[in-house]
Amino acid sequence: MSATSDGAALCYGNFAPMNSRVEQARQYVAAAALVSLVSLIAVALRTMFPVPDLALLYLLAVMVVAVRYPRGPAFAASAMSVVAYDYVLVPPYFTLAVADARYWLTFAMMFGFGLIVSELATRNRRSQAVAAKLADEARDAKLRVHSEEIRSSLLSAVSHDLRTPLATITGAATTLRDQPQLDIATRDELLAAVCDEAERLERLVGDLLDMTRVDAGGLHVRRELVPMDEMIGSAFGRLERKLAPRVVHVAAPPQLALVAVDPVLFEQVFINLIENAIKYTPVTATVTVTITSTAQLVVVEFADDGPGFAAGAEAHVFEKFFRGQHQGIGGVGLGLAICRGIVEAHGGTITARNRATGGALFTLQMPRAHLPEMAVQP
Amino acid sequence: MTDVGATVLMVEDEPQVRRFLRVALGTAGYIVHEAATLAAAQVAVRDGAPAVILLDLGLPDGDGIAWTRQFRTHAATPIIVISARGREEDKVNALDAGANDYLTKPFGVRELLARIRVVLRQSSGPSVDVEPDVLRFDRLEIDVAKHRIVVADAEVHLTPIEYKLLVLLARNAGRVLTHRQILKDVWGNAHGTESHHVRVHLAELRKKIESNPAQPRLIITEPGVGYRMKEPLKL
Repeated sequence: MSATSDGAALCYGNFAPMNSRVEQARQYVAAAALVSLVSLIAVALRTMFPVPDLALLYLLAVMVVAVRYPRGPAFAASAMSVVAYDYVLVPPYFTLAVADARYWLTFAMMFGFGLIVSELATRNRRSQAVAAKLADEARDAKLRVHSEEIRSSLLSAVSHDLRTPLATITGAATTLRDQPQLDIATRDELLAAVCDEAERLERLVGDLLDMTRVDAGGLHVRRELVPMDEMIGSAFGRLERKLAPRVVHVAAPPQLALVAVDPVLFEQVFINLIENAIKYTPVTATVTVTITSTAQLVVVEFADDGPGFAAGAEAHVFEKFFRGQHQGIGGVGLGLAICRGIVEAHGGTITARNRATGGALFTLQMPRAHLPEMAVQP
Repeated sequence: MTDVGATVLMVEDEPQVRRFLRVALGTAGYIVHEAATLAAAQVAVRDGAPAVILLDLGLPDGDGIAWTRQFRTHAATPIIVISARGREEDKVNALDAGANDYLTKPFGVRELLARIRVVLRQSSGPSVDVEPDVLRFDRLEIDVAKHRIVVADAEVHLTPIEYKLLVLLARNAGRVLTHRQILKDVWGNAHGTESHHVRVHLAELRKKIESNPAQPRLIITEPGVGYRMKEPLKL
């Protein structure tokens, strides 16, 4: 139900709450109060306006009650209006006697009007509630279909990408076990394959775990004040061997560019960007990272001079399971999706585009953090 | 290596991991004792007097961090904890509880042997009074007696905090120090929660001693845990 903030929707049909008795009493009291208020106004205005005009005031009261509350209070408001109208506006005043028979028609019309307005309002509320319920169900169904799609594409991608390194490991290891006469060079090659593929498997599992955490919204972000260049330096340090012989330039501003982030999670952003560069750039490439900062922002530009994105691809690189068109490149297509998930969980943004001079450029923006007063002194 | 023949106790519940460690450590010349639970570890420590303990933090019969804290009240045997990626909090807690270093699963044998060598050297190594006056790391030279720092033959000036920070890391070269351990030692306070002090001063220190502070080689960041000074070159 969408209109639960309004007292009206709460009291409709099957959706009425169980403890509605107090609420019902409140509605009757409100109806009575409104009719009384109208009566006071009517008495005050009695000498200035013709009586039939003042009758419209009661109709207004009945309408307000009918729109807000269910039938019961609306009926009551209609009945009370008729009685009050008779009592304060119909001569003889302040009696229930009716001097002129034509007032009976006014009474009937007032009562009938109240009933009709109340009925219309009730119907309107009911159809709104049904529509809201239907919309909820439709949205749920759509979400289910969507998550089913994601799950099945995840399963097929994962089973393929997990089995490929496993196949290599199994093949190489059984060969080593069963064929003792292999020459040293072949043995070394098989052993290197086992190590490389095990590492690839570890990366895949890590990506899947990260993505699941990002997706489930269950990222425990333990924010600390960390210099941006510390995380970048650490990420490059870890992947130095795999990135070689590509050239790396990191330019940091002389002043400290602090951000409030979870250092372990946030380093993963740079690890994934570097791994992306390892996958999609030739070994002759140069990776250039430039950190700049303003009073409010820390901006990291992560650029390479490789082939860049295919036309139109830059809009999709942060989507799950999206992979560049290059053949034979490992990965499930989660690395950059994880980057975006982590950056956004920290209140930052990350975008991708082609550089004018060729190559890919990722731009990361984070709110800049500042040191609190130094509480600890030497 | 002088530590060949030293006894390593591995506390690990996965038989496959034990198998690989048994082969790897045995081949490297260590005597290997095994325990699959903390209870068995308790017995093995008493009976086997290991020189170093490899402790997996995910054991079925208890909390390895609490065990470490308890163990530290009566023994100084170095402990290297083993834990998965993403459990940095566990690692920090284990280190603060008295573990000497950690390894992240999966790890390679080379890394494992390097860690064992460092903790063995530090537990049996020279005590402070015979420590050399000059510590050398690649292009960095720390003259502890004269309070002099030389980088690539040029003297650099450090603030008192930077100096303390550098000497602490250098004296524990090869070993990870948590933010809390560094705060306690350098600032002498027990807050231990304001790791940004360490980060900020370390960033300044790196600018003075690293040839490329953006890609440090002397002091390595251990994300979410602390810092580790690279082991010095053997002279």
